[in-house]
Amino acid sequence: MLRLIAIRLAVFFPTLLAASIVLFVAINVVPGSAAKAALGIDATAQAIARFEHQHGLDRPLHEQYLDWVLRVFRGDLGKSFQNHVPVGPEVLKRLPVTLELATLAFLIANLIAVPLGALAAFYHQRRADTAITMMATVFGAIPNFWLATLLILVFALTLRWLPVGGFAPMVDNPILNLRQMVMPAVSLGIVSSALLLRIMRTSMLEVLSSDYIRTARAKGATRNIVIWRHAIRNALIPYLTVGAVEFGFLFGGVVIIEDIFLLPGIGSLVLVGIINRDYPVLLAAALVITVVVLTANMVVDIIAALLDPRLVRAKGAT
Amino acid sequence: MTAVVDSGSSRHRRRFNWRRWLLLLIGGGLVSIVLLCAIFAELIAPFSPYDLDVSNMLQGPSTGHWLGTDEVGRDELSRVIYAARISIEVALVAVGVGLLGGTIIGILAAYFGGWIDLILMRFMELLFSFPAILLAVILMASLGTSMLNAMIAIGIIFIPGFSRLARAATNDVLRQQYIDAARVIGMSDGRILTREILPNVVTPLLVEAAVAFAYAVLLESALSFLGLGAQPPEPSWGNMLSTGRGFMAQAPWLGIAPGMAMFLCVLGFNLVGDGLRDVFDPHLRD
Repeated sequence: MLRLIAIRLAVFFPTLLAASIVLFVAINVVPGSAAKAALGIDATAQAIARFEHQHGLDRPLHEQYLDWVLRVFRGDLGKSFQNHVPVGPEVLKRLPVTLELATLAFLIANLIAVPLGALAAFYHQRRADTAITMMATVFGAIPNFWLATLLILVFALTLRWLPVGGFAPMVDNPILNLRQMVMPAVSLGIVSSALLLRIMRTSMLEVLSSDYIRTARAKGATRNIVIWRHAIRNALIPYLTVGAVEFGFLFGGVVIIEDIFLLPGIGSLVLVGIINRDYPVLLAAALVITVVVLTANMVVDIIAALLDPRLVRAKGAT
Repeated sequence: MTAVVDSGSSRHRRRFNWRRWLLLLIGGGLVSIVLLCAIFAELIAPFSPYDLDVSNMLQGPSTGHWLGTDEVGRDELSRVIYAARISIEVALVAVGVGLLGGTIIGILAAYFGGWIDLILMRFMELLFSFPAILLAVILMASLGTSMLNAMIAIGIIFIPGFSRLARAATNDVLRQQYIDAARVIGMSDGRILTREILPNVVTPLLVEAAVAFAYAVLLESALSFLGLGAQPPEPSWGNMLSTGRGFMAQAPWLGIAPGMAMFLCVLGFNLVGDGLRDVFDPHLRD
């Protein structure tokens, strides 16, 4: 187990480094765009040159990257082009908001996907299976930002049960915090549940048709023991891996949802970076999202190995 | 438990296939409606999507304006119809970029193997690990907001998925005897790649393209919703929904109509993609 954790950590850091290169290149893919974007289309050549010199943007790209990445290793995420304030503290302040939203949404997605996916597999090719599979297809086609708009229309503007948006920290006002988080989390969670539900159904179908389930039933194990002790536990292993990827996509999806519900998280910081053409802010926010996504993948790999020791042996053998 | 044991019965299998064909038919119907709107928008739309009519602004659905009017009196139905054109255009080019880039990378990686495969596919996996909307937003920020850039940004996002599929399909083809035969008779790498491999990997890629199309429509709408894709007054479901949000209390139809169009379009392409996948790759059915 320790060896697996060591291997995953050894892969994590080079992957993160490579991801940081991709982000840096993607943001600077058009030379001079940062200066033009920050100063506007009417900026003179002298003003652009002065801006680029001031922010070190006139240096070769690899030099800029090395400078940036070394500063990141020291915990310095750079300063905003707009107000010259360090970006790091702003990112740290916003991270808990996004983590809370993504965790709640992921929880909702799993609460829908695991029982319904298992149920669909159990009643394979029956009406319940057809209905659940159709539901997953419909959920998967709903744009989360449209669902968010509809939820606002119904629950905030018409029924007035929930606030339209805003954010109160959990420690200050837990009730208000949860009321503000319900609609954003449901918007993200329902749409994410579509893929997870399909994976859970497929995974459960495979498990239910395996030899050891047949053996367990032949030995007289009750239906509940077969399902809860044998089937669901084993079906969750492949499900977890996809779940981690989905958590990553969900974490990225907060960009729009945070904007709609006026949540001061990392996603809305990405938009602030884009609207203000503030590339250090954009880069820092995108990097933090990437770190969370890669960490989630790594942690889930380790949890999957804990649940199924065969994975450790298989990975150790390669 | 009986349900699982009975799953192989021909009675259930017949019913299952019938349901799949029905879903494919529904998907095909929805896609056809969207495509017809996109191609014949001028003929179908009752009004111009750009004509302002301030005396008729924020009117509810009526016989004159089936989906009502927006904040400057433009006919909402006409704008929804014209927006189909933008979505289809962007999705078509984006999926084309992804399909072309992904196919070339995937085939080359599988064919040449070794370090070329290692480098190309590791890079693809890296791109794949980014949340799509984040990568799209970053690329749009860098490239600048325009329809063409939205097409390119979404296309880049699709490259890793297509490349993985093309690589897997090429690896299958490379195990066939006719590839060995082609090498024995002295066929060049270029000819083997274009004459022998490409035609045999196209089918799974095209099936995947249908699903990617749905996702491209969603991404385009998301970018336009954030103000990074199609720019007003150009109608796009995303920017219409974004504008409509501001008038939700007075004119809820502005938030419902473009979203419903988006949903039906994505649902249609998803059903078609799923159906095609069943037809061409039955072992993936479950």
